[in-house]
Amino acid sequence: MLVHIHSLQLSRGGVRILHDVHLSLAAGEIYGLLGPNGAGKSTTVAAALGLLVPDAGEVCLFERMPVPGDAAIYARLGVLAEQNGFYDWMTAEGYLGFFARLYRRRLATVEVRDRLARVGLGPRPGQRIGTFSRGMRQRLGLARALIADPALLILDEPTNGLDPRGRREIHDVLIELAGRGVGILLCTHLLDDVDRLCHRIGVIVEGRTVAESAIAELVRTTGHMARFRLRLSGGLPEVRPADCRITLLACEGEWCLVELDPSLAPENAWRELMFLGWHVTEICREGGGLEDLYLSVTERRAA
Amino acid sequence: MSPALLIARKEAGELLLSQRGLAWLMAMTAALSGFALLLVSNTELSLLDNAQVVYDMVGIVGALGALLAIVVGIDSTGGERERGSLVPLLLVPASREAILLGKIGGIAIAWAVMHGLALPYLWAVGSTGQNMVQGAIILALLGTPAVLGFGFLGIVLGVRLASARSGLLAGLIVLLLSASPLLLGPGLRQSAIGRAFDAVNPFSSLVNAADAAIIDSQAIVAQWDHILVAYLWLALTLWLARAGFRRIVQ
Amino acid sequence: MKLVLFAAACLVVFATAASAETLAVDLTPDPRNPTSPQMGDNLAFHTVIRNTGAQAVDGVIAWISLVQIDKGKEQPIDLEDWSAHKAVTAASLPPGQTLATDWPMRLIQAGNYRVVVSAVSRDGTRLVASPFADFTVRQKPVVESQRVLPVALGVPLLLAGAMLLRGRKR
Repeated sequence: MLVHIHSLQLSRGGVRILHDVHLSLAAGEIYGLLGPNGAGKSTTVAAALGLLVPDAGEVCLFERMPVPGDAAIYARLGVLAEQNGFYDWMTAEGYLGFFARLYRRRLATVEVRDRLARVGLGPRPGQRIGTFSRGMRQRLGLARALIADPALLILDEPTNGLDPRGRREIHDVLIELAGRGVGILLCTHLLDDVDRLCHRIGVIVEGRTVAESAIAELVRTTGHMARFRLRLSGGLPEVRPADCRITLLACEGEWCLVELDPSLAPENAWRELMFLGWHVTEICREGGGLEDLYLSVTERRAA
Repeated sequence: MSPALLIARKEAGELLLSQRGLAWLMAMTAALSGFALLLVSNTELSLLDNAQVVYDMVGIVGALGALLAIVVGIDSTGGERERGSLVPLLLVPASREAILLGKIGGIAIAWAVMHGLALPYLWAVGSTGQNMVQGAIILALLGTPAVLGFGFLGIVLGVRLASARSGLLAGLIVLLLSASPLLLGPGLRQSAIGRAFDAVNPFSSLVNAADAAIIDSQAIVAQWDHILVAYLWLALTLWLARAGFRRIVQ
Repeated sequence: MKLVLFAAACLVVFATAASAETLAVDLTPDPRNPTSPQMGDNLAFHTVIRNTGAQAVDGVIAWISLVQIDKGKEQPIDLEDWSAHKAVTAASLPPGQTLATDWPMRLIQAGNYRVVVSAVSRDGTRLVASPFADFTVRQKPVVESQRVLPVALGVPLLLAGAMLLRGRKR
């Protein structure tokens, strides 16, 4: 395991912030850490990095407990923190070169520019960071997190401030990294990012982990059904699906609302409906997605 | 290059390559220029007056250097923490000691630049008078530990206080207290409290040694007691900075 | 008895008067003194205090005084920064003996000055003063505008230029 947190308890300023947090991340896995504002996500990340000392519980990075200034751990770690500050008087190239040297990497100018290009900052190596937009700073922060080719990436809101194309580019980078065996811990409020990227998610509410598993598994165990609105040409056929995992909830004009059991993949459901003669021309997800799941999990805990 | 050297170079860059840092230096030299220009029109200064000028210049450079050092110290910790650039630095594969050493190096470079900028002023006002060389030596020998000590104090305040602004306020109050001997004058410092304060105040050490060496033409070696106080101050503030920085958190 | 007492009193008075008046003080500038001294130069004066009387003079104190005699600026000068050697003493000066002293002095301020050495003894009633020695100290420019102006204006200008260059590079 790259990250293993078990029964973590932590206080700050005399106030207990984390009561019981669990988290585990393996190599090549993208783990989404979710939770309401103030739930303790950033505190969990800080404890994982060795910046905060827990009151109780186990925290391991690369199978050892991190301590401040742990060079052996930090050399294999890339971090993009929530508060992402830079040295505004430096250029992007100079900044990356500075951190490369701190990570004991001697990168030639060409290599530094390649890394900037990888995060979409290719045309701006000599531009001062003080003139960067928020999205450009995020990209630079990601480039810095990747400077030492880390085995573990911890990213807090990495697509914050990016346009949709930029977000997609970052997604592609992260998927490629995970494919190469890099473990990625992703803190984000953007459920679309989680849906697209994460193999597993963990949900923290009021300092406790209330859910942790693969998304599909979570949907199944919470009984959260997926609903879809289907547009049918030629009206509703008389033949109904025999599979009990497909439930017709309502029909109105050319639109039908169906609910699918989590164990049935949507594409299999559409195939079955097509064989039954349903002429589906449009499919829209109607709630029941990750957002609903998240809201139901967090509401349940809050209640 | 070691992490400490890299970070020291970065800190120096903040001062010398950023508009904000250059503006600071500009303000410092403007103060020195103003003082020097006041003297140009006065052609009837005695040698004693000239020694007083050199002494005053040493005091002013020391005070400005301490102010710059405390600001740089607070900014290098509390300021960086507020700007969000401290955490990435804490997460590089370097010990906290190395990172702190780098920040200390930055303060030392800031003082070296300030000191270097002040020497032409000292030469300009003091070369034809008395004890300019002694003044330059006193500034280096006592000014350096006094100023660096304030820089280390700035690091402690930046770490321990919630905001850089609070740190700056606290630092300026400490600086003002330390400089109070200059404001009160020797007469008011003759009480038991005044003498005790003088005995432990690095600023008092600097100005008293400067007085003895520049105005009274005493040997610098004879100022060993003031030199001792200045270096004890340096050691104490360094210890506090190390202890504080080890516990710096997000 | 009265005559004896009267004679004794006269002897005491005469002896006392003789103590002070038998001291002679002279003052000569050192021949090596610069002829036209300026601020920062060092001068030296020599004094010989002689007991010209027949009896020893006890508790001799001699000190140097300096006054500025420029018109409108007449004032005594505090020798604090001019000279570390301000007085000399002798427990007893036998008759015919001399007490020689050197008075070094660093010239701190320009102007016209008069130096004099004064002496008294323990039992004396009058001050004995040396002849005056006058000297003039020339002004030396201690703050030269040719040095101050380039530095006071040049250093900030250099920094301003550096700021401008950095601003342009951005």
